Amino acid sequence: MEGNIADLAPALALIGYGLGAIGPGIGIGIVAGNAITAMARQPEMQGTIRTTMFLGIALTEALALIGFVLFFIASAG
Amino acid sequence: MILAAECDVANEVICAPADVNELFDFPTIFTIGNFEVSRTEILMIFAAFVVLILFYFGLRQQRLVPSKFGVAIEGMIGFVRDGIGRDVIGPESTKYLPYLLAMFSFLLVGNLFEVTPLINFPISSRMAIPVFLSLVTYLIFMILGFSRNHFRYLIDTAWPKTVPIGLRWLVGLIELVSVFLLRPLTLAVRLFANMVAGHLMLTLLLGSGVIFLAAIPEIGVKGSIGLFWFALGLFMFLLEVLVAVLQAYIFTLLTAIYIESSIHFEH
Repeated sequence: MEGNIADLAPALALIGYGLGAIGPGIGIGIVAGNAITAMARQPEMQGTIRTTMFLGIALTEALALIGFVLFFIASAG
Repeated sequence: MILAAECDVANEVICAPADVNELFDFPTIFTIGNFEVSRTEILMIFAAFVVLILFYFGLRQQRLVPSKFGVAIEGMIGFVRDGIGRDVIGPESTKYLPYLLAMFSFLLVGNLFEVTPLINFPISSRMAIPVFLSLVTYLIFMILGFSRNHFRYLIDTAWPKTVPIGLRWLVGLIELVSVFLLRPLTLAVRLFANMVAGHLMLTLLLGSGVIFLAAIPEIGVKGSIGLFWFALGLFMFLLEVLVAVLQAYIFTLLTAIYIESSIHFEH
């Protein structure tokens, strides 16, 4: 069992991405859950709520996507 | 290619492609000048042709009562015009409808290639296509932002007047990075990542299912676990149809939202 830290790079990148996906996961859950609540309360506003929900999800998801890119960069390096 | 590798089931029960790139990288078929044409490029052009053919046959005759196919195509156009263009951008959206509609239909066909039998490859899982589309979107909303609001677009983004002074530098910094750097990046990566993940998952589940089932004569009853993988793969297959449509929709919707935020910059 000998080796250097560089051999661990892919595994560490994987762990890092897993950690990075926690926050956005919770965030998207909150966004989608509140959007469902809003739609249930005011079904006539469904179109607007859906658009806003996707915008909110897109902004939240950005962090997970950055993590995804960094995972590829880190595991290749 | 769902059954990714030329797998010699006779010798090896469980075999994987040597490299994950094999699923996304295809050998060059022929070259025109300096351009190496592989399966991806052919599929790209094929997707454009499919879109053209769909629109041609859907809208060929303008009748009072259109055919069923015509209704479907008109429904799609109406969805992009009303659901994406008018709801997000507003009355000005007619100007941007050709771009939105072209992008939506191209991405829809390209993404659905993932679940089309005999093709089984989403063209948007090669980074070049999402990057190109998102750069075009980036150019459009940058040019719109600067031509409508002049230099105020940059200054007000970095120094938002509506935010209390104590937090203004922080919000401004986040906004600056998010608008000018992260928007095009995340737009491209979101589509790319979803398609890559879907393609990989389908390949793994359906591929391992078939390999295990094909190996039943050798490894006996243990190979029946392939049935489970295959069933899971079929479930994912249905899910991927949803993902393909949803990602085309989200890409177009975000383009419309970015265009809108450049036009109505003041709020």
